[in-house]
Amino acid sequence: MRQLLPPGQTWRTRRRVSALPVALGGLALVAGVLLISPLVALVVRAPWSQLGEAVTSPEARAALRLSVIASLAALALSTVVGMPLAWAFARLDFPGKALARALCLLPMVLPPVVGGVALLLAFGRRGLIGQPLGELTGITLPFGLGAVVLAETFVAMPFLVVTVEAGLRAMDRRYEDVAATLGAGRWTAFRRVTVPLVAPSLIAGMALCWARALGEFGATITFAGNLSGRTQTMPLAVYIQLERDLGVAILLSLILTVVSVVVLVSLRERFLGTR
Amino acid sequence: MTLRASVALQLGTLALDVAFEVADGEVVAVLGPNGAGKTTLLRALAGLYPLEKGYVSLNGTLLEAPEERVRVAPEGRAVGVMFQDYLLFPHLSARENVAFGLRARGVGKAEARRRAGEWLDRMRLGEHAHEHPRALSGGQAQRVALARALAIEPRLLLLDEPLAALDVEVRQAVRRELRAHLDQFPGPAVVVTHAPLEAAALADRLVILEHGRLVQDGSVAEVTRRPRSEWVARLVGLNLLRGQARGARVELPSGASVVSASRASGEVFAVIDPRAVALHRRQPDGSPRNVWRGSVEGVESQGDRARVYVDGAVPVVAEVTPAAVAELNLAGGGSIWVSIKATEIDVYDA
Repeated sequence: MRQLLPPGQTWRTRRRVSALPVALGGLALVAGVLLISPLVALVVRAPWSQLGEAVTSPEARAALRLSVIASLAALALSTVVGMPLAWAFARLDFPGKALARALCLLPMVLPPVVGGVALLLAFGRRGLIGQPLGELTGITLPFGLGAVVLAETFVAMPFLVVTVEAGLRAMDRRYEDVAATLGAGRWTAFRRVTVPLVAPSLIAGMALCWARALGEFGATITFAGNLSGRTQTMPLAVYIQLERDLGVAILLSLILTVVSVVVLVSLRERFLGTR
Repeated sequence: MTLRASVALQLGTLALDVAFEVADGEVVAVLGPNGAGKTTLLRALAGLYPLEKGYVSLNGTLLEAPEERVRVAPEGRAVGVMFQDYLLFPHLSARENVAFGLRARGVGKAEARRRAGEWLDRMRLGEHAHEHPRALSGGQAQRVALARALAIEPRLLLLDEPLAALDVEVRQAVRRELRAHLDQFPGPAVVVTHAPLEAAALADRLVILEHGRLVQDGSVAEVTRRPRSEWVARLVGLNLLRGQARGARVELPSGASVVSASRASGEVFAVIDPRAVALHRRQPDGSPRNVWRGSVEGVESQGDRARVYVDGAVPVVAEVTPAAVAELNLAGGGSIWVSIKATEIDVYDA
């Protein structure tokens, strides 16, 4: 076919085809550099000789411990209540559902600092829920581990909800019908059919949720404060160290990066790589 | 045990309104074109779509009757369903699939596994018990799905297109085996299908569904001999006319008429076997009471017979030998005389 075309036309066609990939490739390269170069800089500029000292400092260890505990607690809480919320959005019809869904997913786009302020107004000592809660049970949330978990959950749970909801909507619902005709009530069908069938989405949602919780900064510092050893998570420690000792800040950042990468890669290989 | 059902519901543009009964041990095939509401009917019987009107009763027990505010949820109905595409749970092994219903009904784990194993053995699938659905062939998956539906010892069995997902080569063998299992099932069974051969092979009785309505309910022989809709007539290859009977004459809406040997009155069907339609290049003389002139619209070869489409006052299909096609030069089209003996036209009430 190409041989039948006059030479000039062949040349022009070929040039048009190749010009586009070059432009796209160039833009893609810019994107890649933009995303990768900061990570490279982090590795290159790290004061590796101080590594032992930075990792073993009590402040850093406390921050890392708190970060891991709080982010896992936020993940657990998000999964236990977020999965049913995703199910409700995907399967139930109730008045005001669209509005409720929009409000529940708002934290994804809300500036985290705003989220922190809102949390303070709701769960603070004199907050809408916090005040009666404190009077009735004596529990006060702000400036403790509970506040950190709550802040991280508030920001991270919507990621799990949207991912799982999408998985539930994409799932062939007739499997739930099969379960029903076999005598399974809604709870049994949910547990034994729905959850296993949306497992890939659930795992992906949990990974996103956990990563978001681990990196949470704005809402945590606003709502939980920055108390070393109590509410100072890794991102907060990085921020504080940035003013004190840049080297330590870099090393803490690297540790945070490594923890995230290890967990995400292991999840990917165990659950997503098999698909 | 008898299934008595009158199902009325609206689903999108489909208005389903069907009443029928299935006796104990009887297999009824619900046959109809795509979109007739066959699957919807099946799902309604299983309780997966609520009725708007009517009732479903099984063995005298009311499962659903919206007017009496009775509705048993699908999980409480003891209805075994084999879904189209089988829908085996992909995350469970064949045995766990079969055991699922027993476990959901509170049977202990060990006992459920034992019984599921027995069902798989009965289906000659013992060695595949630990395999997951993706490792099974279509025919094996079909048997696992049947075992899963039967394992709960249902009082009613519903099968949706049980053979449609299979390759043509295995379909016949699986059909024979399915028939054997259906024969052993003590309760009423309903098979939904769009394939007439399948319906005839699996069922004792046919229920024909079109546009959500029941157009015919009868034995295979009855339906193939005296169809009551254009769709069925085409399926079984008969010419079907509908008109007003005045004695031996049946007047058609087009103004034309045909004459049969029997006398009737009112709205009737008249059915003509294509093999009884004679074609002539010249006007025939002699006894035939039904003679008219038409034009050959097309010839379709079917093995040792040819089907000739003749348009005219009464459009009909004639079935002739290839020799006749050559002799009458039918392939060239043109005008033709059609004659049908009055005794070859069967007339019955519409």
